[in-house]
Amino acid sequence: MNALKKLFGGDTRQFGMIFALVALIVLFQWLTGGITLTPGNVINLFNGNSYILILAIGMVLVIIAGHIDLSVGSVAAFVGMVVAIAMREWHIPWFLAILLGLGLGALIGAWQGMWTAYVGIPAFIVTLAGMLIFRGAQQFVGQSNSIPVPREFQYIGAGYLPEIGPATGYNNLTLLLGLAGVAFVIYSEVRRRRTAKALGAEVSETWVSVLRLVLICAAILYATYLFATGRPGTSFPIPGLILAVMVLIYGFVSSKTVVGRHVYAVGGNRHAAELSGVKSKKINFLVMMNMSIIAGLAGMIFVARSTSAGPSDGTGWELDAIAAVFIGGAAVTGGVGTVIGSIIGGLVMAVLNNGLQLLSVGADWQSMIKGLVLLVAVAIDVYNKSQGRASIIGLMMKNFNRPSGAPGTPLQPDEVTSTKETISREA
Amino acid sequence: MTSHTTHTDPVILEMRSITKEFPGVKALSEVSLRVKAGEIHAICGENGAGKSTLMKVLSGVYPYGSYDGDIVYQNEVQQFKDIRASEAAGIVIIHQELALIPELSIMENIFLGNEPTKRGVINWAEARLRSTELLARVGLREDPDTAIKEIGVGKQQLVEIAKSLNKSVKILILDEPTAALNESDSQHLLDLMLGLKGKGITSIIISHKLNEIEQIADSITIIRDGKAIETLDVKADGVDEDRIIKGMVGRALESRFPDHTPKIGDVFFEVKNWNVAHPQIQDRLVCKNSNFFVRRGEIVGFAGLMGAGRTELARSVFGRSYGHFVSGKVYVDGREVTLKSVHQAIDAGLGYVTEDRKSLGLNLLDDIKTTTVSANLEKISKRSVVDTNKEFEVAEQYRKSLRTKAPSVEEGVAKLSGGNQQKVVLAKWMFTDPELLILDEPTRGIDVGAKYEIYGIIQQLANQGKGVIVISSELPELLGLSDRIYTIFEGAITGVLDKEEASQESLMKLMTSARKAA
Amino acid sequence: MRMIGKAGKAAAIAAIAALALTACGRAEPGTSSGTTGATGGFAQDSAIGVALPKKTSENWVLAEKLFNDGLNSAGFKPTVQFANNGVAEQQNQISAMIAKGAKVIIVGALDGSQLGTQLQQAKDAGATIIAYDRLLLNTANVDYYVAYDNFKVGELQGQALLDGMKAKKPSGPYNIELLAGSPDDANAKVFFDGAMKVLKPKIDDGTLKVLSGQTTFEKAVTQDWKAENAQRRMDTLLTGSYGTASLDGVLSPNDTLARAVITSVKAAGKPLPVITGQDSEEQSVKSILAGEQYSTINKDTRKLVEHAIVMVKDLQAGKTPEVNDDKSYNNTVKTVPAFLLPPVIVTAANVKTAYVDDPVLGPLTK
Repeated sequence: MNALKKLFGGDTRQFGMIFALVALIVLFQWLTGGITLTPGNVINLFNGNSYILILAIGMVLVIIAGHIDLSVGSVAAFVGMVVAIAMREWHIPWFLAILLGLGLGALIGAWQGMWTAYVGIPAFIVTLAGMLIFRGAQQFVGQSNSIPVPREFQYIGAGYLPEIGPATGYNNLTLLLGLAGVAFVIYSEVRRRRTAKALGAEVSETWVSVLRLVLICAAILYATYLFATGRPGTSFPIPGLILAVMVLIYGFVSSKTVVGRHVYAVGGNRHAAELSGVKSKKINFLVMMNMSIIAGLAGMIFVARSTSAGPSDGTGWELDAIAAVFIGGAAVTGGVGTVIGSIIGGLVMAVLNNGLQLLSVGADWQSMIKGLVLLVAVAIDVYNKSQGRASIIGLMMKNFNRPSGAPGTPLQPDEVTSTKETISREA
Repeated sequence: MTSHTTHTDPVILEMRSITKEFPGVKALSEVSLRVKAGEIHAICGENGAGKSTLMKVLSGVYPYGSYDGDIVYQNEVQQFKDIRASEAAGIVIIHQELALIPELSIMENIFLGNEPTKRGVINWAEARLRSTELLARVGLREDPDTAIKEIGVGKQQLVEIAKSLNKSVKILILDEPTAALNESDSQHLLDLMLGLKGKGITSIIISHKLNEIEQIADSITIIRDGKAIETLDVKADGVDEDRIIKGMVGRALESRFPDHTPKIGDVFFEVKNWNVAHPQIQDRLVCKNSNFFVRRGEIVGFAGLMGAGRTELARSVFGRSYGHFVSGKVYVDGREVTLKSVHQAIDAGLGYVTEDRKSLGLNLLDDIKTTTVSANLEKISKRSVVDTNKEFEVAEQYRKSLRTKAPSVEEGVAKLSGGNQQKVVLAKWMFTDPELLILDEPTRGIDVGAKYEIYGIIQQLANQGKGVIVISSELPELLGLSDRIYTIFEGAITGVLDKEEASQESLMKLMTSARKAA
Repeated sequence: MRMIGKAGKAAAIAAIAALALTACGRAEPGTSSGTTGATGGFAQDSAIGVALPKKTSENWVLAEKLFNDGLNSAGFKPTVQFANNGVAEQQNQISAMIAKGAKVIIVGALDGSQLGTQLQQAKDAGATIIAYDRLLLNTANVDYYVAYDNFKVGELQGQALLDGMKAKKPSGPYNIELLAGSPDDANAKVFFDGAMKVLKPKIDDGTLKVLSGQTTFEKAVTQDWKAENAQRRMDTLLTGSYGTASLDGVLSPNDTLARAVITSVKAAGKPLPVITGQDSEEQSVKSILAGEQYSTINKDTRKLVEHAIVMVKDLQAGKTPEVNDDKSYNNTVKTVPAFLLPPVIVTAANVKTAYVDDPVLGPLTK
């Protein structure tokens, strides 16, 4: 127990969600007799959920900024439909169609951003309207029919990394990707330690760093192995690759750039942010616009995977994405949340879905179980916060995203800080 | 000098050896407190000393069983399990953050949760009758139907007291009751407390305003670091402010203000004919034709009663962040500048430290380092990417130079005490390297020791040739700190006095009269 | 620097260890049954997947039970799932069935054109795909289709509508309104087209009048087959076009919607028109006995499921399943061999004989 505490810094509960994810995977691996962690199933897991996870990336930013977007499902469906029609009716090539889709998403986002940021209508209302408007628009342009998309386009939703290079028995590109991931993780940990030392911040013990690295690298390598040894013709899926790139980009933007900082500032305390020179309207506009672009991307990936755009695409997606974000530790009041946390939250839901399907549990039960998981996850978070501990994911990711902080540094015992907080209210 | 309670008055409340531990920290250690029936008992101590914790134990916020020691009230050991239990016994606490609902009327607020009913239906006729009576007792002449949001903070405080009187209070606990009140409202409240004392109600008051305590308290218990240091009998011991401070900080403070020799240069910042309208009511001017200037190295005070328009003036100059701009000009180094947004104001070298630290000054979710750099992210960014190493360095540097008490710069600002929060806010603005820093109530809710340090920081800024404007309700603070003081009354500047000619009396006169600007 | 060396070394060891563990690399193709269609056969206790659409009518609930019972008693390991939350859920369910190694996947598609990727996966994994009740479109990866003859269903509905109105009022013109099913269900259009084959000539010659003017499939659709959507549309039509005119007949594609129409007409205080239906739902059979709904179609789910299971058994034994139509069902990529069961129209006239064998509906009609 002590060792665990050292490894994760102060409080094992901060890692609750990752533990929950791992435990869930192990549980299902056992219950399904080993089917959960087969290459085919892991690939399915990513293929079947990447568009929700991608939506969660945009959604967490919206929620951090203190808003919500209910229109993502409709916007995704609308963009998917327009893109499908553009390729079938106007015969535009697939790459132009993707650009068209992203552009359309941006346009829709600008529309919603304008109402939210500059007219000052709550995003809840604006996007509720958007949900109706774009659902209708989608059915109008699609005439409530299903529109098939060409094979090349399907690649972004159902494609895999190609087979190249010598026959190693593995998918070579997937292997390279995995090794690159390992190298990156080691490099950043080393760099983090070095800068922390240089800055005079506390540095965790060597064995802690090493054990962390071993655990993370083992996880990456195991995943690589699974992806690289799937049925011939399959490997790391393209939607998974798009997701990974998005996580890297948005993880970086949200924690390391001026715009990202401003999103947290606006969501945490808009007035204080404005009085610090943050252009909150611009931030709100950008966040809403970004969400619709991402929704457009998710819609296109789904259409590509489904091989056609259908009239009921995207129904309920907004709720899946919002659930992932909240399971991932974001606060309803804004200002709190991380990209990685939301992805983990989304994965918890995805693994749950997949495992229950493998166990042939009916949709009715699945829905009930998912609802309870959402409630329990957020309840644990709220309980921890009321005990003075920070949000599980929030704290956990802080150590990952902000390298100047000593990784694995034992944080202040939370109990102490909670008292301090109480006392500091004396004024 | 320690407690020598005369046993003439019966003791209504005795807290015996109260120890309250939070995991890892002993917030209260064997604190004992004796309150005599019908007295006004003050509790003094620096922030974090344990005053509020003690009151939370008394009022049942921390229920029986979560602390050690006994609460003996009216000769019986009490076991309050929540606030309702203590209120039922006649102990009512009024918090600094008022528990009133702005949209409801005075009457509705007074009877909230305690509505007079007749067979389950609220009897409004009776409620009105009783609220008129209660309002008269607290000296508030308002229609009971007025919405809470339409009356000022001072009157809201009175409504809170009326509400407690309705619950047949025996011990009234007031936590920083005058912190948000102006002079006259404060005085009214203090008079009321004396009046209630005359009617046999015991009061416990927590306050940082030592002059008020000196004025009304019968006895004072001083708490330091979770321990009761001493109990003073105000009349018998001849207590004055310095005596209280000595008890609170454990040593005598030689001076309340650090030594400072001003090096005043030329005028570099000037505002002319400044007119600003209320944000909602367009034809009401909150700044009327105001003119002022600041010289390099000068600390300029803005004196005025609460609501006089000091904050409005400062914020409207600071990038029009308040109200509707009507007319006026701003000159920096003799050149006219237009500051339409906060961003432009910061670029032009202005900084503004708000009076409302928690809702306007800080993102309480952030940590120290994020807050420190938040107003000048560009400086530590390259192509819009924040250099987190530099961020850490900068924050660490300010933490050391301002002596912010925190385990590391990764500590959340919500966990800091008021004084340390203010230092973080100061660091944030110092990092923008402002030529003119406007400080609105810079020491509100901050204890004596930290005040001294903040005064030092302000003087240091002036020594570096910056201009500083200090807005404060505490005249001694302005007198001790400023080189020159403007007075504001009803949105207009009514006068300006040099350090030498200013006194509490001369300022007060200008602050309360519409005399033409000097 | 010492630390860095250590960390790097440890990670490298972990990497090598992980790869060493898996020295054999990816499994050779073809270790799974790998064959399609009828050639090989497979084990008696194989997994069989049944992916059904939303649980919106009694027939689907019944089908779930029948598939479970039938496949279990034949010794298979069935997985029967509904996709109540949409196409995405059905896609994931089919993927999960493949992961479980299903040899045959029976698909009652939510949207027949949106499962291409999963069907490709299934085919690659060596499973045989049977489209159940609804055709799978736009894919080469569907082996058989088993269903009632849906075009015939539409024709029967159209004819019943005409007969019913004629029985009430010997000569036209008759005022009718048209309802179609959900646009994402491939069958909906087939039903509608079948009915229109009978009705269109009569509309053109003026015998039938559609006062709302809504005569195309797109205008007549009922999203998700939801009763509330049909009822709302009917309410609007009644107030909009039948303030004074009488409504003689309504083409309803199934029983759920037929009952929604009856509710709507009753609420409007109008005399009940002739209303068609389909599926032989319990409530509708009662309604026919009570003289409210005019007709339904008996597409005995028992027989359909039974035949689907027969196909599975044939495949297991390595036989080619029997088909009776290998020309009509082109899904834009291939012509799918189909086994079609004949639907039967049921009105008050034959309701007593139609359900004699039915354990649930039989007793109702006695």
